[in-house]
Amino acid sequence: MVDLARPAPPRTGSWTNVLLLGGGLALAALVLRAIDPGRIAGLQNFFIIFGSLLIEAVPFIVMGAVVSAGIEVFVPARAFDRMAALPKPLQLPVAGIAGFAFPVCECGSVPVARRLAAKGLSPAAAVTFMLSAPILNPIVIASTYVAYRGRDTLWPMVLGRSFLGLMAAMAVGWVVAGRSSSEILRPRPDEEHHHESGPRWSSFAGHLAGDFLFMGRYLVIGAAAAALLQTFVPQSIIGSVADTPVLALVAMMGLAFVLSLCSESDAFVAASFVQFGVGAQLAFLVFGPMVDTKLGILYSATFSKGFFRMVVLVVGTVTLMGTLWIEVLVG
Amino acid sequence: MDRALDTRLDRPAERVHRAGLSPVRVASALALASWAGLFWFLIGSGRTSLYLSSRTDWVVPVGAIVLTAALAGRLLSLRTARPEALTRREALAIGLTILPVVTVLALPPASLGSFAADRRSSLASAGFSGDAGDISSGEVTLVDVASALRSGEGMQQLTKRAGAEVGFVGFVTRDPGMPADEFLLTRFLVSCCAADALSIQVRVVGAPPGRFEADQWVRAEGLLYPLGGEVIVDATLVEGVPRPDRPYLNS
Repeated sequence: MVDLARPAPPRTGSWTNVLLLGGGLALAALVLRAIDPGRIAGLQNFFIIFGSLLIEAVPFIVMGAVVSAGIEVFVPARAFDRMAALPKPLQLPVAGIAGFAFPVCECGSVPVARRLAAKGLSPAAAVTFMLSAPILNPIVIASTYVAYRGRDTLWPMVLGRSFLGLMAAMAVGWVVAGRSSSEILRPRPDEEHHHESGPRWSSFAGHLAGDFLFMGRYLVIGAAAAALLQTFVPQSIIGSVADTPVLALVAMMGLAFVLSLCSESDAFVAASFVQFGVGAQLAFLVFGPMVDTKLGILYSATFSKGFFRMVVLVVGTVTLMGTLWIEVLVG
Repeated sequence: MDRALDTRLDRPAERVHRAGLSPVRVASALALASWAGLFWFLIGSGRTSLYLSSRTDWVVPVGAIVLTAALAGRLLSLRTARPEALTRREALAIGLTILPVVTVLALPPASLGSFAADRRSSLASAGFSGDAGDISSGEVTLVDVASALRSGEGMQQLTKRAGAEVGFVGFVTRDPGMPADEFLLTRFLVSCCAADALSIQVRVVGAPPGRFEADQWVRAEGLLYPLGGEVIVDATLVEGVPRPDRPYLNS
């Protein structure tokens, strides 16, 4: 007879895997010590960039996970009914402007958008919010202002970035409008663990840990790719196309993709590319917070197949068209 | 079946089973503990400045507190009536999340050096003013030089300070073909984190030939001469110094 007083045992090998995890990490530490990357300048540079990207982004990921878990556990599904009751043409602008009230980097907005869509907010509104928040938030507007303070192009950069960012986010929202959350969200294999029974705080802790670990692993891959590119691709190689009209815009969008900078600091880097015109610098500032190496990995893990490609196409087109117009008007 | 057991089978499973440790929750607690521990380590060791600027280093204590709270929540819910199995794939994914913590802790403290200076953008002259007003009086710092390098007006202000005595701390980089008694004193300017670093360089002339190697931290004192788009220090003293606690300047 089964002894029901015992807990249901985990599958065989579970505890072995926990031990393997600890042993593998200890081995990694020993190997790193033995290699001594300090002797190899490129490797040391890679680890500094890799570490700095993660140390800056992880607190935002965990704060995003806190908000996401809070939405899942404490916010009733009917809370989004008011948003759904808005006339359709108003939903996307409202979702986009809501990004103004969420001052976090792009990494933090991905888990929140996923949870909002899963909880019942229209996927179009959730995606619009996700893409606009890293550009429209007040810290990013202030840092763009500081980076361009004193230049003739100050207001075209600050206002142009906010306007084009909102337009690009709404364009993506418009493209995904009509799709259900099950069509747009990629199922998460680990999510079954998060439906933890028991008190709400326990469920909250489970969702928080689950979201952090899920986003964290893809952030690590994205940060490694960005650090690798930053280490081994010299930034000077794009300087040769600075005077070529459309190519300069595309090159700066490509650079933003490679560098994967935080939207709160990218204006300072964009401002240093003085050989490029206002349109190209603006393209860097609009495209980068929505599409970069680490976000590509995060989007691919969070959303269904084809979502990332669609975001690249739509955001890329809006950015290119918008910055060309601004260059004609201002440049 | 006896009556007592029959009654127990009618209850929810979690009430019937005694709670046991869940391998998945233990592994996720390990990940949260690793990251929380890293952030507390950065605070305690002062190594935050190797990665972040002073403008953004507030994220480290915030990360430490939030991750510690998340860890506490996870530790209090480690036991469950139905412990979830940890597959090899999940263990690998959690290991991947913890790996950066291992790299930061296992490697000796280091900051960006001459390798990065060769590959990253530097501040160059451009048509905006920055904080040029600050350059015209007081001690000339490398931040003033940065303002001058990215500002036409700033460079004009700095030119008026030609011959001023300066003392700059930075690391040594060399261009190919540079005379033996010259080097570039380099420092990075960081806005958020080391990933957005921009280099500031001044050419030091009259240094003791062959005494200083690439990446060595030095203090150069001498007279300042802005020339074209370049800033030159005619050195009266160059000495090796330890890496500063804050190796990056902040914009």
